[in-house]
Amino acid sequence: MTATIYSVVNALVVLLLNLLGPYVPGSGPYGPFVATWLSYLVVGGIVLAFSMVNVLVFIWWERKLLGRFMDRRGAMHVGYAGLLQNLADGLKLFRKQPFAPKDADEMGYYFGPTAYLVFSMAILGFLPISFGVSGGLVPLSLLVALALFSFAPLFIFIASWSSNNKYSLIGGMRTAAQLVAYEIPLLLAVVAVVALTGSFDINTIVGDQASYGWFALPLLLGLIIFFIAMLAEVERIPFDLPEAEAELVEGWSTEYGGMLFAFTMLGDYVRALIGSYLIVLLFLGGWSMPWGLSNYPLAGLVFFQVKTYIVFAIFIWVRASLPRVRTDQLLQIGWKRMLPLAMANIIWALALVVWGYPNIHWPVM
Amino acid sequence: MAQVHEKTIKRADPPHAAVTGIVVYPMATVAKQFVKSLWRPSTILYPFGERLENEDFRKSVKVASGAPIGVGEIWDNYRGVHALNIKTCISCNLCAFSCPDTCIEMVPVDTGSGKTKKCPEIDYGKCSFCGFCSDACPEGCLTMTPGYTITTNRRGNMVYSPERLFEVYKGKLPQNPTSLAAPENEDVILLDQDLCIGCNACSRDCPTKCIRMIDIPKPEAKAGEKLPKRIWKEPSVNDSECVRCGTCISVCPRECLYWGARK
Repeated sequence: MTATIYSVVNALVVLLLNLLGPYVPGSGPYGPFVATWLSYLVVGGIVLAFSMVNVLVFIWWERKLLGRFMDRRGAMHVGYAGLLQNLADGLKLFRKQPFAPKDADEMGYYFGPTAYLVFSMAILGFLPISFGVSGGLVPLSLLVALALFSFAPLFIFIASWSSNNKYSLIGGMRTAAQLVAYEIPLLLAVVAVVALTGSFDINTIVGDQASYGWFALPLLLGLIIFFIAMLAEVERIPFDLPEAEAELVEGWSTEYGGMLFAFTMLGDYVRALIGSYLIVLLFLGGWSMPWGLSNYPLAGLVFFQVKTYIVFAIFIWVRASLPRVRTDQLLQIGWKRMLPLAMANIIWALALVVWGYPNIHWPVM
Repeated sequence: MAQVHEKTIKRADPPHAAVTGIVVYPMATVAKQFVKSLWRPSTILYPFGERLENEDFRKSVKVASGAPIGVGEIWDNYRGVHALNIKTCISCNLCAFSCPDTCIEMVPVDTGSGKTKKCPEIDYGKCSFCGFCSDACPEGCLTMTPGYTITTNRRGNMVYSPERLFEVYKGKLPQNPTSLAAPENEDVILLDQDLCIGCNACSRDCPTKCIRMIDIPKPEAKAGEKLPKRIWKEPSVNDSECVRCGTCISVCPRECLYWGARK
């Protein structure tokens, strides 16, 4: 249980450095320092590759499913069933020259989307994705993940402000308003889960669900609130006001092209990936499996990924069905509906704890 | 006004409409559509996959009754690439005359017996598929077929030589028009006898060989008068065989032939 990706990589790196012996600085007085930072690099590379592969398949999944929802086929020419289409698109964007508009603030312009993508991807280093498989063992992993998750509006605002474009600025303002408004019901829904488990460690949360059943059953209201708030947090239809194509060209990423645009796009999908992960981890049992298979890391990983893709399919289903809400409706839903419901959800969760969840003794009336 | 107000109240949405009408109903509709498109999305994969032609298409997709045409159908009278029967072409030039886009050029074609004749060459980069040329053709040798696979990535490949059009003719695609239309031009070829020099150019170039040179009597020269220098023959047009192509008028060196009402 204590084995993480970091510890495995670190052991391998130390072994490699010892084998290479005196020819590399790994064995000198700075040996542990070199080994540690090499391990950080390797773990970062693993997280990067894992998130990029998942994001590319996510975009493919969205293209195919959206196509079927619209009675067409989606991407189908590059690779088998269009699987490599996103790689081709990425290659095209990668070959483009990055440049900033004349009146843009170059530092913020380049910093915004890059930090947006990096901070979104960093969350994956803290999320466990299967039994004993995580970047590092962090006792407060849920807290860290949600804290990093709420960094996004800052970078979006920096990017939109320094773009020096009215559409970008309006999109950035909307992003700030929307993400701040929906951060609160999102966190309140998480509070209910934490109240039931008494821990911020995702491993414990999933372990409790493996023992007592998914939290989606006792906390159905919390799941619905978390799902809707997550839709708004990852700026997807019906809450895609920050990049409302009909009114704001491309929203806060209007001025971006080439690889910087790819950063904004990848950031969106990494956040969608993390949103789907969090929904599965907190409410749908994570990698816990029936028939006692939970303790096999690979089987758990596959099961976890399948659940994640099903959750993302619901995201896509919502996108294919619903119209975009207005700004006033957005804030009304956030503050007037979601917030009281989230409070009610917390009270319900606390009541469950008081009644002795999971072995509930119903209070005698 | 009171009635209008009452109606407005009746038409107001029930309180649960925000969930059923805006969320549940659209999502159910889209899910139904999703299940339907799992079997077969309406995307036509031509040219990457099979194109469903008339009968197959009708079998696979239920066309609403009374619908005249479905997606993927090609009617027999669709105006696509031309078919040319080189053997019956009389080189009358009427197709090139009638073309509004000037995409038809008459080019020499080897007839096989050592001689050449002029047949239409069509540039599909210019063609608007109006069908005037096939309507004008007096012999029915230039027709239009439903063939539509003429797209290429080279401009030169858009020009179809008479031989290529003959290949289309041999491809046995349905052709239209199926019958010859009566010539729209009711006029006939008339001759200004004073200008004619009897040079035989019209008779030589007539595609249907309906012009015959007939002898005319050489008049007696009067005193002090000079007879014109000419051959004492003049053309006689067989109107029933004439296709009204106007070749004789265009080749006449003296401009003595002209269109006119039948006398």
